Amino acid sequence: MSSLRQIAAILKKDIISELRTKEMLTSMFLFVMLTMVIFNYAFGADRNNLTPFGGGMLWITFLFTAILGLNRSFVHEKDEGCLEGLLLAPVDRPVIYLGKMTGNLIFLSVIEIVTLPIFTVFFISHNYFPQIGWFIIALILSNLGISATGTLLATISINTKTRDMMLPILFLPIIIPLLIGAVVSTGQIMAGTKNFESVYSSLKFLGVYDIIFLLISYGLYDFVLGE
Amino acid sequence: MTFSPDLFGLKETKKITTEIDVVNLNKSFGKRKVLDNVSFQVKKGGFLSIFGPNGAGKTTLIKILSTLVAPTSGKVLVSGISLDDDPTLIRKKIGLISHSPLLYPDLNAYENLKFYGTLYQVPHLEKRINFMLDKVELSHRRYDLVRTFSKGMQQRLAIARVLLHQPAILFLDEPHSGLDPHAVDILDGLINDIRGDHTFVMITHSLEKGIALADVVMILENGKIIFYQEKEHLDSDKFRKIYIQTVKGES
Ligand SMILES: Nc1ncnc2c1ncn2[C@@H]1O[C@H](COP(=O)(O)OP(=O)(O)OP(=O)(O)O)[C@@H](O)[C@H]1O
Ligand SMILES: [Mg+2]
Repeated sequence: MSSLRQIAAILKKDIISELRTKEMLTSMFLFVMLTMVIFNYAFGADRNNLTPFGGGMLWITFLFTAILGLNRSFVHEKDEGCLEGLLLAPVDRPVIYLGKMTGNLIFLSVIEIVTLPIFTVFFISHNYFPQIGWFIIALILSNLGISATGTLLATISINTKTRDMMLPILFLPIIIPLLIGAVVSTGQIMAGTKNFESVYSSLKFLGVYDIIFLLISYGLYDFVLGE
Repeated sequence: MTFSPDLFGLKETKKITTEIDVVNLNKSFGKRKVLDNVSFQVKKGGFLSIFGPNGAGKTTLIKILSTLVAPTSGKVLVSGISLDDDPTLIRKKIGLISHSPLLYPDLNAYENLKFYGTLYQVPHLEKRINFMLDKVELSHRRYDLVRTFSKGMQQRLAIARVLLHQPAILFLDEPHSGLDPHAVDILDGLINDIRGDHTFVMITHSLEKGIALADVVMILENGKIIFYQEKEHLDSDKFRKIYIQTVKGES
């Protein structure tokens, strides 16, 4: 119970700070919009031809915007020395992890919810609204995996000198399996596949990936924050 | 086997009278030895002032005592608890005022205290926050963002943050730096208010302040304790000479 309250306190603190500065959300939103504009010019606006590539285009955009957000998520913690304040507090280390991770998950999801309709209008010809439930499940599972691994690696990279560069270097190789699952599941749903088998198996894979990386991060966080 | 209740009684009192117990503590960062076989004790309710030149290892020592940095070797007991036994329990009992105020600039004064108070599970938090804001004379700025505070005001709020959970042991790393005379008075007033049933370890470069508040003084140089004495036996002129010599020798 008390741990839940502590997680909520960390989350609330991050959300209030972000709503005041909007530093993270603004840069994430602008990045997504910019990428879509570039896609639009590069591929032309022929939605019928682009629909099969929808999943790939979507996750290129969302993955890099997630990295942008993750890089900022510990900025105050580090620059104002507040990480020390968190470390001094009598909270279990996984509580800090879950608080920060939930924040990252929410910020990424908010950006996606805002930009997805625009993406769909520009690049997707099939009406996948009847399958929106499955699509949201795929989105949530993918976001969870990105936030779970990303928060762990962002914590590791704050203690390195080149933290902005360190995160993608650590992050990209580890996230590739998840990314494939995300691209396949969301892509096929958006393209209106008749064969839902591969969507199901992708979703299952995403779920397993999430559980594994949540457990690993949970176990490692004490060590990562160590010194 | 004889059962002696008295023995237990002795053990119990011994535990209670020593609040900080450091034995043969060593710390190295890579090849650099920062603390070299440091041993000392602070009794419950005691006030230890640590002096020493820049880079002597003072901050490192306090970071080890407050569970932020792991020692390379040696034994450290805080409030009878070993550092690697239950750091979370130690964290409940300690407060640290360090160089940075550890406040979130985009939260206001109240939100900062509320945040830390929740992490520490402070009972009657709202009341306690009001009380502390009053004490550091920041009640009128409670809803202003910390970003808009002057350095001294941030330091005052940092003091409120540290005392919020009523820690039994306080670590102060140059707490007077950056404070104007009035804020110094506020800090000293707060320290004097809670002296006696709290234990203090303070790092300072100000001889007057350090000696006035302390009941034990210590000089650290190159990671070694080169001077350690109770204030009642202290010859302050002699102490002044030794201190100035160590600081000069370093620079
Ligand atoms: N994280 C670290 N990594 C490597 N070396 C460190 C680290 N922290 C401290 N040191 C080194 O340890 C030595 C002691 O530093 P410390 O901060 O404890 O000194 P200090 O006595 O507090 O000095 P000051 O009076 O300037 O605050 C210094 O030589 C410093 O370079
Ligand atoms: Mg120092």
